Amino acid sequence: MSLVQDLRAVLGDDRVLEEPVELYLYSRDASLMHGQATYVAFPHTTAEVAAVVRVAEAHAVPIIPRGAGTGLAAGAIPVDGGIVLSTTSMNQIELDVDNRTAWVGAGVINLDLSKEAEPYGLSFAPDPSSQSACTIGGNVANNSGGAHCLAEGATTSHVLGLEVVLAGGEVLVLGGQAPDTPGLDLKGLIVGSEGTLGVVTRALVRLLPIEADVRTLLLDFEDLSGATRTVSDVIAAGVVPAALEIMDQKMTTAVENWLRAGLPCDCAAILLAEVVGEPEAVEAEAALVSSIGLENGARNVQVARDEEERAILWKGRKSAFGAVAQVSPNYYLHDTVVPRSRLVETMEEVQAIADRYGLDVYNVFHAGDGNLHPLMAFDASDPVMLDKVHRAGEEMVAACLARGGALSGEHGIGLEKRDMMRDDFTELDLDAQARLKEAFDPAGLFNPAKVLPEGSRCFDFGGVRREIPDGAWL
Amino acid sequence: MTEAAGGGRRAYREVTPDSVETLALVLREATESRSVVQVVGGGTRQGYGSPPAPDIVLDMAGLSGIEEWDPDDLTVTVGAGTPVADLEAELAGRSQTAVLPEVPGASTVGGVVAAGMSSLRRGRLLGTRERMLEVRLVTGDGRVVRGGGRVVKNVSGYDLPRLVVGAFGSLGVITSVCLKLWPRPPAAATVSIGDLESAGRVRRPLAVLEHDGSTEVFLWGTPEEVFSSTARLEGESREGHHWPADPAGPYRWSLRIPPASTTAGVSRLPPVWSYLAIHGAGEIRAASDVPDGAEDLRGWAEGVGGSLVVVEAPKDGINGLDPWGKPPPGLEIQRRLIAQFDPARVINPGRLPGGL
Ligand SMILES: Cc1cc2nc3c(=O)[nH]c(=O)nc-3n(C[C@H](O)[C@H](O)[C@H](O)COP(=O)(O)OP(=O)(O)OC[C@H]3O[C@@H](n4cnc5c(N)ncnc54)[C@H](O)[C@@H]3O)c2cc1C
Repeated sequence: MSLVQDLRAVLGDDRVLEEPVELYLYSRDASLMHGQATYVAFPHTTAEVAAVVRVAEAHAVPIIPRGAGTGLAAGAIPVDGGIVLSTTSMNQIELDVDNRTAWVGAGVINLDLSKEAEPYGLSFAPDPSSQSACTIGGNVANNSGGAHCLAEGATTSHVLGLEVVLAGGEVLVLGGQAPDTPGLDLKGLIVGSEGTLGVVTRALVRLLPIEADVRTLLLDFEDLSGATRTVSDVIAAGVVPAALEIMDQKMTTAVENWLRAGLPCDCAAILLAEVVGEPEAVEAEAALVSSIGLENGARNVQVARDEEERAILWKGRKSAFGAVAQVSPNYYLHDTVVPRSRLVETMEEVQAIADRYGLDVYNVFHAGDGNLHPLMAFDASDPVMLDKVHRAGEEMVAACLARGGALSGEHGIGLEKRDMMRDDFTELDLDAQARLKEAFDPAGLFNPAKVLPEGSRCFDFGGVRREIPDGAWL
Repeated sequence: MTEAAGGGRRAYREVTPDSVETLALVLREATESRSVVQVVGGGTRQGYGSPPAPDIVLDMAGLSGIEEWDPDDLTVTVGAGTPVADLEAELAGRSQTAVLPEVPGASTVGGVVAAGMSSLRRGRLLGTRERMLEVRLVTGDGRVVRGGGRVVKNVSGYDLPRLVVGAFGSLGVITSVCLKLWPRPPAAATVSIGDLESAGRVRRPLAVLEHDGSTEVFLWGTPEEVFSSTARLEGESREGHHWPADPAGPYRWSLRIPPASTTAGVSRLPPVWSYLAIHGAGEIRAASDVPDGAEDLRGWAEGVGGSLVVVEAPKDGINGLDPWGKPPPGLEIQRRLIAQFDPARVINPGRLPGGL
């Protein structure tokens, strides 16, 4: 039977898409890159996922797991055709309030999980800005972060177990509520593997008790370095707030023009800080953050008076990318990290690079983690601009690596940064990574061409070093 | 590098490499000659699994010391042979902690990571895997490999740093790690409480430990917060943290169960066992003179999705009890993974479940 017949035998006619316009949609994600899907499959159950994997293997066609397609590193795009496996129908949630855990279908939307847990005084800590759209499967695959991962850690710190479908359609349940499962922690390795080791069908996640008290502060500064220095000084003073987020003037203005959140636009940067815990601690830590801010030149310290004001401030922060989309046809951002003590100089260098290329750069970032997102607004219909944006982006990443930083803090490597892996790792490091992949997926069917550059396996010497094809970009 | 002839039942070579390059050489040779290499940090956790007698004993003391520590970044990079006690003492000087075991004895950082041991504060600050930012290791066939990086957030490539936690060196001998540190807040207290129930009056305590009949809540934070939490607990309070040592005995056990089953776990321990239960984390450390009752306990633990692990037992004293119990799922993949890093299986063979 043909591939499509086999898929339909497993899923029925209506859960396999093949119309060009549908395939077009599933050939892109939130990055600037695109590929070409052969079919899109919508399994409902783990058994169906396993059956689809076996069909793909029988036809030697790649499987590209896909959640909501909000990924920014081109992780979910089919590079050279293949079956896009959409998890959106796998959306069950089973709470265990006593153990503060939940088994969650891969297709569950991040925010829906926290809404489900809220009546029990619990929440799921990872809160990417895309949380109203992105899926738990995508969060697990990318080890996604969020504003509140500063104190609580990114997705991997909240995943206790996984149900996965691996090569051969083998279904494994890894980890569990008990800590320290004996043997190698395969579950932990699958988190952050960007769909290249197998398909995550369900995740057992840890939920946290909603804190007794919270205080959200908005500080505004006459220069960006005052804001970044405040962040470094707060961490150095021994306080790890729940969140420390910075937006520069351009970004704040874009958000304010769109949402009218009451953000000050006449300053160089704003710092959004949140402290949580017992009321006494919240009081003391809020006072510390504000005094460190004032020492570093903050003009005002505004404290959200109620939940409504707090929600507006966070909506402003989490809508940042969307706000740029209102004012520019395209934007491109890099997700890089530097040691927190080197934030100030890195931000200066990023600005200098943008100036050199004559580009508009907007900054919004998880400052507490040293995680930058310099965002360049441009018009992609101008090929000269696209090229400039790429080159400037690469220089920004290089500037971070030169300061002991990392290629990506939370968005993943995907296809986008795969060739840059050589700038961070040695051949032997990459070879070791390629071996991890090989142990899971010897045939290379799961999300090929992602994460590792071609020829990473040292013994592939004969192989040509293929770079990302130019045509993959928008 | 120093070498010495080992005593005991069988001769082995003792090697203390003083550089990564020397270590790589030793391992490459071991792979060529198919020698069994036993890696020793502080020697406090050599009882796991059922390893064969070693041909080479690797003493990691030559690869120790703080390599890089920027207190403002809350990260530290240390050699694997660094004693945990030395590292934590150094960090405490700047009011920081790596959240490693509190009563480590001679344990080294590499040993704690490889054996997957965690802090008693894990209910609040999570286990050792959450501290891992970067790892450098030498594979069984002598390749020097790095994973991760020296920043607090990183998704560049597969998560090798976390994978080596609890892997007993099967992917390579760990030479250094970069750890995420945590600030030590200004105030700390240890409060003895009468019943476990009342611990619930503090929302997220640093630790709730039960050992041999008594229960203590460990608090830290701002002075105001610690003061008010102490008052709410209504127990006898002492300033600072007074951490209990792990129970000692010829048999040592690690019971791992869902957190909500911790009280049930304590009640199921044979009455003569001594124990230290970490509430909220699902870990109970225990010790006994004889292994009686272990089989029943293991049956119960596996029934609730957990395990009972033999941490230490007298030679030949384990009465046919498997050191790990029911093998975990995915053994075949684990075997393939290990084969990619240690093809001749020379580093600490037989330590892991399933005889890996
Ligand atoms: C406006 C905006 C804001 C964002 N803010 C943040 C942020 O604050 N923090 C952050 O970390 N990210 C952020 N992102 C990036 C993105 O939302 C996250 O990476 C998210 O976790 C992706 O989820 P998704 O369901 O959209 O996954 P997709 O984009 O569909 O897929 C992402 C990757 O995961 C793989 N994958 C998906 N599901 C599975 C599965 N079930 N099994 C195996 N592999 C799977 C895919 O193959 C792909 O490699 C943002 C994106 C946008 C557009």
